[in-house]
This record gives sequence, structure tokens and C-alpha cells, in this order.
Amino acid sequence: MTDEKLNTAQEPAAPDILEIRSLQKSFDGQCVLSDISLEVERGNVVSVIGPSGSGKSTLLRCAAFLETADGGDILYDGQYALRDGVYAPKAELNRFRRRFGLVFQNFQLFPHYSVLKNVSEPPMLQGEDREEVRERAVALLKKMGLEGKENAYPYQLSGGQQQRVAIARALAMRPEILYFDEPTSALDPELTGEVLKVIRQLAEEKMTMVVVTHEMPFAKAVSNRVIFMAGGVIVEQGDPRAVLDDPQEERTRQFLRVFDRA
Amino acid sequence: MSLMTMIVKMSEGLGKTCAIFFLTLLFSLPLGMIVALLRMSKLKVVSAVTRFFITVLRGTPLMLQLLAVTYGPYYLFGTTVARNKLIPVVIAFAINYAAYFAEIYRGGIESISIGQYEAATVLGYSRAQTFLRIILPQVVKRIMPSVTNEVVTLVKDTSIAFTVSYQEMFTIGKQIANSQTSFMPFLVAGVFYYLFNAIVDWLMGRIEKRLDYYR
Repeated sequence: MTDEKLNTAQEPAAPDILEIRSLQKSFDGQCVLSDISLEVERGNVVSVIGPSGSGKSTLLRCAAFLETADGGDILYDGQYALRDGVYAPKAELNRFRRRFGLVFQNFQLFPHYSVLKNVSEPPMLQGEDREEVRERAVALLKKMGLEGKENAYPYQLSGGQQQRVAIARALAMRPEILYFDEPTSALDPELTGEVLKVIRQLAEEKMTMVVVTHEMPFAKAVSNRVIFMAGGVIVEQGDPRAVLDDPQEERTRQFLRVFDRA
Repeated sequence: MSLMTMIVKMSEGLGKTCAIFFLTLLFSLPLGMIVALLRMSKLKVVSAVTRFFITVLRGTPLMLQLLAVTYGPYYLFGTTVARNKLIPVVIAFAINYAAYFAEIYRGGIESISIGQYEAATVLGYSRAQTFLRIILPQVVKRIMPSVTNEVVTLVKDTSIAFTVSYQEMFTIGKQIANSQTSFMPFLVAGVFYYLFNAIVDWLMGRIEKRLDYYR
């Protein structure tokens, strides 16, 4: 009895949904990610900020297996997808892929599919019940404020609408964590608000997210943690207010000054 | 010989002209895709060899290739020349057109942004699903104008079969022109090709229209 209690007491807390340790990545001998370590807890929103070329998108793409890391570990829910620079077998990586979704800067909707098919085909191809998927897709589109757009084609929508379709498409796969790679950078300024609004709504629903962004007020308002990257390393991370209002590192201050001036 | 007789006699060859046309498309359109995929192979040897064959097929006259396919085996191995010339004609045409289609396909495939592949991969599409469901339909739309060009050229190229005396429309016309010392058969042939291509144009236009539902 006491033994049992002791065991449960010693059991480690539930592992983070995403954990990255000492991630290394270089392109043609040029180091773009150096010794990157971070964890993302369930229900948290982590914003990654930094100047262009700082490696923040590459980091996200490594986490989504779109780039091959050269070293380090990537763990989903405590299981190794990448261990010491060696990837898990292909079939296993495909299983890990089901855990995350990715929203691209330029949407990458499938132009020859209707909005509804964009959202519903991926889960259907995974063998899910067609009717159930259809209902889920319709509900997600409604949630994204796209009711009545089911039969439209991407080219008929504004950039902001397209990005919201892309978010619905990612959510239809029911990921445990959602990645955003500069989701508003390709949008006209007046359209960024509608996209940020739905991301904020997801944050309120405790969706786990990592957002690479240049939208500082958004990062401050929505995230649980902000990571500032520069030159392929994490310069500073922590509470959004601490990092954005009272940065400890000179490099962070320098970066944020550019935004203040604008 | 009256003009009417000429037209009737030449029409009898239209079936064979159509046979070359349709059989060439039937074989070259899929063969071109295989060649395009080999051309884009990650294995350097495969892509280099494929590239070499494409340059040969595009860099030498179709007429020469047709003669090589028809009479080459006789000179090389002493085998008899095929009695049904349709076989060597279709082989030569299909291979030649496959080389052209391959380059059109390749251009189309390479014009699709890498982001489409990435989006599909992240959404759990297998490599085959990505190609067949996401990439290929977009490629088809983009390459339609170039394919139409090739198909129109093919209509006219069927006349090259006269070099191996395959009794298609133009070959018959040429024979009549020789025996009657008349230019009329060539005019008739011209009208036939023009009408044939008018139909091709209309058909391809309809296909392009059907693919017009997205941009």
C-alpha cells in the first residue's frame, strides 16, 4: 500500500506535448539553429518572435518534420520523434504527424478543391467516417466565420478568409498542437485582425499553439510564453510581459525598439 | 480524275490518319508521364540518361526516327520489314511525342509550389495521394495550352507516315498528285487537316473551359 503510494508519487508529471532539446540545424554549413531547447505545455500558447533569418520559421518547420534537423531531440508527448539527430522510422513519423497541424504563411489551400473539400478530405483519407467528418468540417467553418462558403473555391475568398479556411483544415485533423508560421504576414493589414481573432478564440479554448509572429501586441495578449530568437539561438524567453516590456538582453531590446519606432 | 473522286479516294485514308493520331495519343500521353518522372528522378544516372534520350528525340527529325524504327531492324538484324506499317509508325510517333509531352509535364510539375507538397504531407497525404490528388490535377490545368499545341502539331505530323508508304490520307493524296500531275490533292489534304484541327481546337477548348472552375 505504502509502496504503491510511493510509486505514484514518484511518477513524473504528464510529459509536455512538445519538447525540443539541443536542436541543431544548418544549411550548407551555415548554422541556422543552434542548441535550441524548449517545451510546450498542454493548453499553452507560445509565441516565437525575432528578426527575419533568426531561425524561428526553421524551428517550426523542424518540429513539423518539413526540415531535417542535424542533431538534438524532438519529443511528442514524451516519445522520441528525433533522438540525438536520428529520426524515428517513417511509419512512426507519420503517426507523430497526426499530433500537430500547421498553418502556413501563404495558406497553401488546394486551389482545385472547394472550401469544404479542402477541410474534409484530409481526415477522410485517414479513414474517418465521411458523414462525421463533413459535419465537423461544416461546424469548423462556421466557427471560423465562414458559414455559407463551403462550396466556394479558394480564389473567390479574401486572404483573411483563405487563412481561416486553412486553420479549419488544420483543426479538422484534430491535432493536439497547432503551429502557425507567420499566419498574418501575407495579409493586407486590414485583414490580419480577423485571423488573429480566431487564433485568440482558440487560445481561450485552451488549444495548444506555437505561433511564429511579428504581431507584438497579439503575442503579448495571447501567449503564455514568448520566445525571442536571433541568429539561430533563443536569446530570451519567458512571460510575455517580461520579455516584451522589460527585456533582459540587449539584442531583444534592440529588436523591440524597431517596433516601437514604427 | 474528278475532284470528287480524289476526295473520296483520300477519305478512305482518313481512318488510317485517325488511327495514327489516336493511337499516338493513347500511348504517348501516359508514356510521357513516365519519362517526365524518370527525368526528375533523384538518381543522377536515371535523369541524365533520360535527358539524353529526350534531346535525341527532340533534336532529330520525326521522319528520320520513323525510317529508323521501320527499316532499322532490317539493316541491323536482317528481320523482315513489318507489313502493317501502322506498328512502326505508332511506335515512332508515340516515342517522339512522349519526349515532348514529358518536357511539358515536367514544366507543369515543377511550376507547382513546394508549399502544396508540404501542406499535403503535414495533412497526412501519402506521396502517391499527394501526386494524384493535389499535384496532378493542377498540372493538367496548367499544361493544357501546351498540350493543345502538341496535339495540333500531331494532326499535321500524321502526314509524315507517307515516308514509309503507310496508306493514310496524305500518302494517297501524294500518289494521286503524282499519277494525275495535279496539285488538287494537296489542296484537299490541306482542307482535311484544317477541319481536323478545327475539331481538335474546339474539343481542347471545351476541356480547358471545364477546368476553368478555379484559378
